[in-house]
Amino acid sequence: MQSKPHMKLNVRFWSYFADVTGCRETAIEAEAGSTLGQLHDLVCKQFPKLADARKSTLKVVGVDYQDDDFVLSDRDEVSLFPPVQGG
Amino acid sequence: MKTALTLSPDPIDEAALAKARSISDDMGAVVTFSGVVRGREDEAAITSIDYESFDDMTKRQFELIFTEIEQRLPIESIRLVHRTGIVQVNESSLWVEVVAAHRAEAFDACQYLIDQMKLRVPIWKKPIVT
Repeated sequence: MQSKPHMKLNVRFWSYFADVTGCRETAIEAEAGSTLGQLHDLVCKQFPKLADARKSTLKVVGVDYQDDDFVLSDRDEVSLFPPVQGG
Repeated sequence: MKTALTLSPDPIDEAALAKARSISDDMGAVVTFSGVVRGREDEAAITSIDYESFDDMTKRQFELIFTEIEQRLPIESIRLVHRTGIVQVNESSLWVEVVAAHRAEAFDACQYLIDQMKLRVPIWKKPIVT
């Protein structure tokens, strides 16, 4: 049986998310056509402490905010971070 | 609308920024705001704040906010400086200048800019405790 095609995504962590995960970024493979919400699920499985902040997590593809329904493309760069605090 | 955005680890030289101001003859309002690091954060004494910025996105989000202001209000120019890295207590971490013909739109734009920054611009603070 042929496996479903996958895509490679780079996920970056900012602010205390980098401390919680112990890394600034990680590469994750997801099924082609996955949404940002599905990727977030995968990330929370890999880094369970991030699940505590799931509702308040801000999600970005490239340099633009996106919602959970956003369909990802191969090699997309995703950023996850807590609420911002400039000023 | 003219805009200038600076993200820098260097101290904000407000006198130099004021000296470099350029306004046309029709402008009657210059609103400036300086955000200063307080000595306490969540009831704890601190010595400084370490500001982290996702620079590419920070620039993108500020540009979007500037465009929204331009569409809403008659503003001649906005200059904004935000520190990155360690900023000591009593030092300015943010400096904003808005130039307009009248004070109402200048204050309005300054308030909107800072409110939106605090919602959308990816900059985070890590207080350094004494």
